[in-house]
Amino acid sequence: MPLLPLATGAIIALVAATFAFPWLEFVLTLAIAKGLAALGVAILLRGGLISIGHAMFFAIGAYATAFAMRDFGITDVFALILISAIISLVAGLLIGAFVVRYRAIFFAMLNLAISMVLFSLLSKFYGVTGGTDGLRVGTPTVLGMVLEAKGFATFLFYAAIAAMVLAGLAVNAYFKSPLGEALSAVHTNEIRLEYLGIPVRGVLLVAYGLSALLAGIGGTFAAMTIGHVLPDMAYWTDSGHLVLVAVLGGISGIGGPFVGAAFLELVHTLAAGVTDAWNMIVGAALLGVIFFLPKGLIGFIRPTKKGDLA
Amino acid sequence: MISYRNILCSAVAAAALLAGPALAEDKPAALGVGVFSFTSGGTAAYGKPGRDAAELMIERINAKGGIGGVPLSATYVDEGQGTEGVIAEYRKLAGDAATEVMIAALSSGNCMALAPVSDQMKVPTVGWNCDTHQLYLKDAHPYFFRPNGNTVPEFVAYAAYLIAVKPDVKRIAIINPDYAFGHDAAKIFTTAIKAFKPDVEVVAELFPKLGAGTYQTEISRLTAARPDVIFSNLWGGDLENFVRQASPRGLFRSSQAVLALGESSMQNVQIPEGVIVGVLGDGWWMSPDAAANPETREFAEAYKAKYGKWPVFPAMKMANSFLYVQAAYDKAMAGNGGKWPSRDEVAAAMKGSEVKTLTGTMQTRADNDGVVDQIIGVTAKADGHDGPVIGDMVRYKGADLMPPAGEDPIAWIGTLSADLPTKLPQPGSYK
Repeated sequence: MPLLPLATGAIIALVAATFAFPWLEFVLTLAIAKGLAALGVAILLRGGLISIGHAMFFAIGAYATAFAMRDFGITDVFALILISAIISLVAGLLIGAFVVRYRAIFFAMLNLAISMVLFSLLSKFYGVTGGTDGLRVGTPTVLGMVLEAKGFATFLFYAAIAAMVLAGLAVNAYFKSPLGEALSAVHTNEIRLEYLGIPVRGVLLVAYGLSALLAGIGGTFAAMTIGHVLPDMAYWTDSGHLVLVAVLGGISGIGGPFVGAAFLELVHTLAAGVTDAWNMIVGAALLGVIFFLPKGLIGFIRPTKKGDLA
Repeated sequence: MISYRNILCSAVAAAALLAGPALAEDKPAALGVGVFSFTSGGTAAYGKPGRDAAELMIERINAKGGIGGVPLSATYVDEGQGTEGVIAEYRKLAGDAATEVMIAALSSGNCMALAPVSDQMKVPTVGWNCDTHQLYLKDAHPYFFRPNGNTVPEFVAYAAYLIAVKPDVKRIAIINPDYAFGHDAAKIFTTAIKAFKPDVEVVAELFPKLGAGTYQTEISRLTAARPDVIFSNLWGGDLENFVRQASPRGLFRSSQAVLALGESSMQNVQIPEGVIVGVLGDGWWMSPDAAANPETREFAEAYKAKYGKWPVFPAMKMANSFLYVQAAYDKAMAGNGGKWPSRDEVAAAMKGSEVKTLTGTMQTRADNDGVVDQIIGVTAKADGHDGPVIGDMVRYKGADLMPPAGEDPIAWIGTLSADLPTKLPQPGSYK
C-alpha cells in the first residue's frame, strides 16, 4: 500500500519543518486543528450534504475548553479534550436530530442559521462569554505536570499529530464499515437505501455526530494553541473556510482536509508576510487549485479510482 | 552593470548583519520592530493612519541617527487577517532575535490574545491603540505595556464634560457599535452619568452592527426618543455614515451630540459646530501642549505633506508609542553603561516609566497600564486653520479618572461623588 509511506513521510516532513522554522509549530498545530474540523465537513460531503455551519462545533469545542478551565478549574489537557469532545458530540447529536431531516440547500442554510445564532449568543452574553473580546485560555497541565508555555506548545503539536493519525484511522475504518458505505449510498440514491431497510436518518445522524465530534476536538486544540477564544470562531465565514479546506484538499481520502488546511494556513502566513494584498495571493492560489486540480490537492498523489466521489 | 566594489560592500554588510546577533552586547545593524495594525477591511480607517504614522516616525527617528545610533527597521503585520494569523505572525517575529520589540495592537481582542503570548516569549510589547479595561483586570502581563490607557477614564471624562456644560440633562440616548468596545463604553458612560446625576434617564440604547452602512432606522428611533443628549462611540466609516445621514434629518439640532471618537472623522465629514468630541486620550495634535512642542508641529507638518491630511488621534497614538519605545531604550542604555539592552532590560525600563510624548506626558502604572490625560472639547472653526478644530477644551488629569489597579472599574465608577465634575477643570479652561 503506497499510502502508508506517503502519510509517514508527510508527518516526518511536518515535524522536520518545525525544527527548521520553530514558528511553524503554531501555524501547523492550528492547521491540524482546522484539518480535523474539515475532516468532519468532508464526512458529510461524502453523504452529499454540505454544512455551512460547522464552525459552530469548532467554537463549541473551543468555548467548552475555555469554560471548563475558567469555571470548573479543570486544567488537565486530556480531561479538557475529553470534555470538549463529549460536549460537541452531544451538541452534534441534538442539532443533528433536527437538521438531518433536510437536504441540499435547506440543510446548508439551517446549519448556517444555527451557527449564527451561536455566534450571536457568544457575542452578546458579554458577562458570560466575554463578548467580542473573547475569553482567555491558560496553559493546561499535562497529567499533573505543569509545563512552561513553550514546552506545552510543543507537546500540543505532537498531541495534534497523534489526534490527526487516530482520527484518520478511525474515519477510514468508519468509511469502510457498513454505516460508512451506507453514507455514500445516501448520496447516490436515498430511496433505494430505504427499500433495503437501512434507516437513512440514523445513518446521517451518526455521520453528523461524528463530524461534530471531530470539529469539537479541532476547536479544543485551536483554543489551547491560540490561548484565546473568540465568537468569530463560529462566524459563517469560518464555516465556509472549513468547506473550502475540505474541497481544496480533496474529499476522496482522509488526508485531503489536512493537506488543504496546511496548504491554506501556509499560503496565508507567507502571503501576509509579504504584502498587504495577501487576500489576492490566497485567492489566486485557490483559483489555481480549483482550475488545475479539480480533485483537490490530494489529486496530486492519489490516482483517481473508479467509484471515487467528487 | 554591477561593480565589484558594490558586491564587496554588500558582502561586508551581509557579514556584519550575520555577525550582529552573535555578539550580544554589540549594537545590532538594525533594531527590528514588529508593528501591528489593520491595513485591510473597514478597521483600516484607524489602521492606516497608524501605519502611516509608524512609517513617518521611523523615518524621523532614523534621520536623527536612530535609537542609540541604531536605525529602526519595521516589519508590518496586517491585523485584518484575524486573530489566529496575528498570533502566528507575532510568534514568527518573536522567534527571530532581530525583532527586539513589538508595537501591537490596534484591536482590543488582539491585545488580549497577544498579551499572554508576549509574556510567554518575553518580548516587550506596546499596545498602541487597544483600550479595553479588561486587559489587566484578571491577569498580570509583565511584558505587555499599554501607554495608551483604558476605556474607563476615556468615557468617564465625557460624562464629566457633559455634566459640566449641560447640568440640566435629563434624557440620554446611546448609539454605539455592536461589539465589546461599544457595550463597554455604554456601560461606563451611563454608570458615570448616573453617579454624577442619578435622575438621568436612558431613553434609547442602540447597537447597530459594525459596518452597518445605513442608520436611517436608528435615526428615526433617536428622533422619536427626544433625548437631550446622544452619546456615540461609533468610529471610522460608521461614524462618517451616521453623521452624513443624521445631519440632514436635524438630529444634531434637536439634541446635543457627543461623538467620543469624533476628532478622527473631522477631516472627512462635516460635523456640525458645537458637537462634543475628543481623542480618547491627549492625542490632539493642535492642543496647547502639543502646539508648544516643536517636535509635534514638525511631525504634523510632515504628516500633512506626506499623506495629505493632518494626523488624527490614532496616528498620534502610534507616534507616541515609538517615543515610548525610544525612551525605554534610552533609559535601559543609561542604566547599563551604554551597552545595547536585551529584551528583558527594555521591558524593565518600560516598567513604571514616565514618558514625554508628542502630546503630553504619560505615566506607566504598576500594572503596566498607562495613565494619560483626557482632552475633550466641542467642534469649532478657527482662524488660520483650514479644517475644523476643537474649542472649549478641557484637559483632565489621567490620574483623576483612573480606577485604582485591581479594583472592579464599573463598581469604582459608581462610587464617584456627584460633585466630581465641578471639582475637575472646567470646559474652556485648557487653552
